[in-house]
Amino acid sequence: MALETEVIRRILEGDIESFRFLLERYEKPVISMIRSITDDRESCEDIAQDVFFTVYKKLASFDPARSDFSTWLFTIARNKSLNALKKKRVFSASELPERTDQTNPSDCLTQKELFERLDGELQVLPSRQRRAFVMAEIEKLSYEQIAQIEGARLGTIKSRINRAKKKLRSALAELDGEAV
Amino acid sequence: MKSEEIYHAWKEQKSRVEVGADFCDSVMDQIYRYEGGKKMSLFKSYRLIEVVSAYPVAKAAVIAAGALIGLGRVAFMVHILLFT
Repeated sequence: MALETEVIRRILEGDIESFRFLLERYEKPVISMIRSITDDRESCEDIAQDVFFTVYKKLASFDPARSDFSTWLFTIARNKSLNALKKKRVFSASELPERTDQTNPSDCLTQKELFERLDGELQVLPSRQRRAFVMAEIEKLSYEQIAQIEGARLGTIKSRINRAKKKLRSALAELDGEAV
Repeated sequence: MKSEEIYHAWKEQKSRVEVGADFCDSVMDQIYRYEGGKKMSLFKSYRLIEVVSAYPVAKAAVIAAGALIGLGRVAFMVHILLFT
């Protein structure tokens, strides 16, 4: 935290190259989060590039007293991902990924297939539940951070994550029954 | 493989991300171009407006200059009407 604050101070004083430290530290979690929200492997790096460029331009407006840098960064990443989704109209029913309950019970599911099915299940979760789940379980953000990013109460976030986990586990239990 | 193991392995796999080797360089290039552009385009009208807007003293100076020019024009017109 203190190191990040120092790096931000240096960037604001004109040491542009110091921004590379923040980039290297956060590129993977940010890209992973964008990919999970948009389910678009092709354009997630483009969106991430836009996120980091915006972060650089708005760095002077970051207030460490209000939030951690990572919370602020993930909020920007979340908003950019949602904007990208809106542009692509991914939310329209016709473009939602197909549910995974069209399987033949006799199929022998490999681990790769199970993962793909779980990816599918994740994508059909309500977007708020999916985002909360990804931030908590994949990106390992704290519930407090997620509540700040989503602008929701802590209890609401916990409930979204629990519901998402329950749905995924129940889907997995069904899928696992098919796996040999 | 048990459900729990699959679930945790899936989460682990989701957290692993391959990032393009030139990702950082692309972002840094974009930032350097942006900073370079800011310096070069200082005298472009939109950039001038951006700079003036950022400093209250500059804004006050522009308003004062505008007011002086306006008053000068009025004085000039009055002079023409009265003395010609």
